[in-house]
Amino acid sequence: MKLKQSKSVEWTKLDNASKYFPATANELDTKVFRLSCELYEMIDPNILQKALNKTIESFPFFKSILRRGVFWYYFESSDLIPEVSEESLSICAPIYNKNTKNLLFRVFYYHKRISLEIFHALSDGKGALLFLQTLVYHYLVYRYEEQFKNYKPALDYNASIKKKMDDSFNKHFIGDNGFTRNVIDHNKRIKAHRIRGKRTEENRMKLIEGTMSVKAVLGEAKKNNTSLTIYLAALFIYSIYKEMNAIERRRPIVLSVPINLRQFFESDTARNFFSTMNVSYQFRKEETELKDIIESITESFQKDLTVDKINYKINRLISLEKNPFMRIIPLPIKDYSIRMANKLVDRGITGAISNIGKVQMPEEFEPYIRQFTVCTSARRPQICMCSYGDRLVISFTSPFKDTEIQRRFFEHLSNKGIQIEISSNM
Amino acid sequence: MKYCSHCKVYIRGDKLQCTLCENSLPDTHDEEETLFPTVPLIFQSHLALRITAFISIAALVVSFALKEIFPSNINSPLFVLLALVTMWLSLIVVIRKRHNIAKTIMWQVSLLSILSILWDWRIGWRGWSLDYVLPISYVAAMFVMYITAKIMRLSVRDYIVYLLLDGLFGIIPIVFVLFDWITVYYPSIICVAISIIFLSAILIFEGENIKIELDKRMHI
Repeated sequence: MKLKQSKSVEWTKLDNASKYFPATANELDTKVFRLSCELYEMIDPNILQKALNKTIESFPFFKSILRRGVFWYYFESSDLIPEVSEESLSICAPIYNKNTKNLLFRVFYYHKRISLEIFHALSDGKGALLFLQTLVYHYLVYRYEEQFKNYKPALDYNASIKKKMDDSFNKHFIGDNGFTRNVIDHNKRIKAHRIRGKRTEENRMKLIEGTMSVKAVLGEAKKNNTSLTIYLAALFIYSIYKEMNAIERRRPIVLSVPINLRQFFESDTARNFFSTMNVSYQFRKEETELKDIIESITESFQKDLTVDKINYKINRLISLEKNPFMRIIPLPIKDYSIRMANKLVDRGITGAISNIGKVQMPEEFEPYIRQFTVCTSARRPQICMCSYGDRLVISFTSPFKDTEIQRRFFEHLSNKGIQIEISSNM
Repeated sequence: MKYCSHCKVYIRGDKLQCTLCENSLPDTHDEEETLFPTVPLIFQSHLALRITAFISIAALVVSFALKEIFPSNINSPLFVLLALVTMWLSLIVVIRKRHNIAKTIMWQVSLLSILSILWDWRIGWRGWSLDYVLPISYVAAMFVMYITAKIMRLSVRDYIVYLLLDGLFGIIPIVFVLFDWITVYYPSIICVAISIIFLSAILIFEGENIKIELDKRMHI
């Protein structure tokens, strides 16, 4: 008997943050997020495919498939060729299916928009943005071959392929050595207010995007002596508060805020490298004003957004992962425990807000690119935002039909004289 | 772009109502582009599955009814029940694991072993499950797995672990022989012999692949 010799296969362990996603992804919350780039003209699928083929060369890790071992999930390299297709699924539709061996991302085009949808285990917002930027870069260079014949605009992301595949958690954190394990986080599992509502058909994501001027919103934030993210987070809390009834106001509103760790620790990885923090606001009896909320959460941002706090939090997670007892628990039981723990954590969260920040592209591309947008699948109303040039896009995703919170949020800004363009998928 | 005077926002796309407040928007007669595709709802009705479920229940009810009307020594409703359980379990496994053919075969073999012993025991132990069903299914699975893998051009690493597992299963009948649990010996002996030859072949020729696969799947 002779079995055919196969090519050697490369496999990688999941990083600390990735481990959570395959266990908790389901039909209700697919753990998929989307980054889009809207141009001023129709997308040519053939050029896009060419650009994708070129892009994937610099991101070989994106060709991974996710597989189940006996104790852990792992990424396995594949020979699959990613193909662009016209957008045909609802926003952030499931990608990971444990029974099929498929890529963990997809590239869609629709009219003037290129969208990249990614399963979160593969990468975080920043990593995916690097991929999309490279894709758009190649697309425009191919599309305007004549113009960029002699001189190619520079894309300022030149990390080596190895650097892009880095498990930066492993690099910067060692886990604690037993000393802090006894320090139980007395964050007194508070129950947060939870937004309820009628779900959309087939649990599809309802997306509402508001595009506005960065300068104008920044101006409003400055008036309140705060940053853009904090201002919008406070406004989000305020909009939720306005929709709560008196009894519900006994519970605090807690927002989960992802933190990009690349700003604290040196890393060029295109994989996951983020942590999260919670900011909360407990209402008192009297009427609450927006400025009260801003004050309060500015304080928690200052308090929690320090390298020490982040170190402490992640090292705890890492030591849990490295704990010998945890390691030898079979995967199905691990999955189950992660799901249970996730349910507990969920009780303490009302919503989430995530700011990807400024998207930089070579300035030669300015005439072609209208805006960048980001949104995610969500179990509860969630805001994602990013800006390109002076266009800030704030995307609300929600599994609920109701849009009152979104209406209040945008109405508050439009009442300040900010011009807003709203687009929505439903 | 249309303007909603209630929310004081511009609405992009071909909307008739404001996304935020749901009031109707003024008709501007402009050609507005659609921003998102209309995705039809997927109806997960699976009519075939429903019909099968209905027939299963009907058959079970009828068999119970018939036994009450025409009493006999044979416990026919139990046969029907066991047959249905067998069918449904296999069906579920096939549907759930359909993307991994080697895994499906392994699951079917394990299921078949357990169910056949159960059958044999429930209808008065005659030993046919250990005599024939187990050894034959292990050997059959080995060949089926190898042939399908070749036909479907699966890469070695996709099925090698399942083949190894089935080879190990195939050695189990040696226990039946040693403890004298069986009356007919030759299927078990053939099964064990083939399994050992098979195992030695894959270990000698594919040992490296097996090691890599196991490292990957068993990493802790």
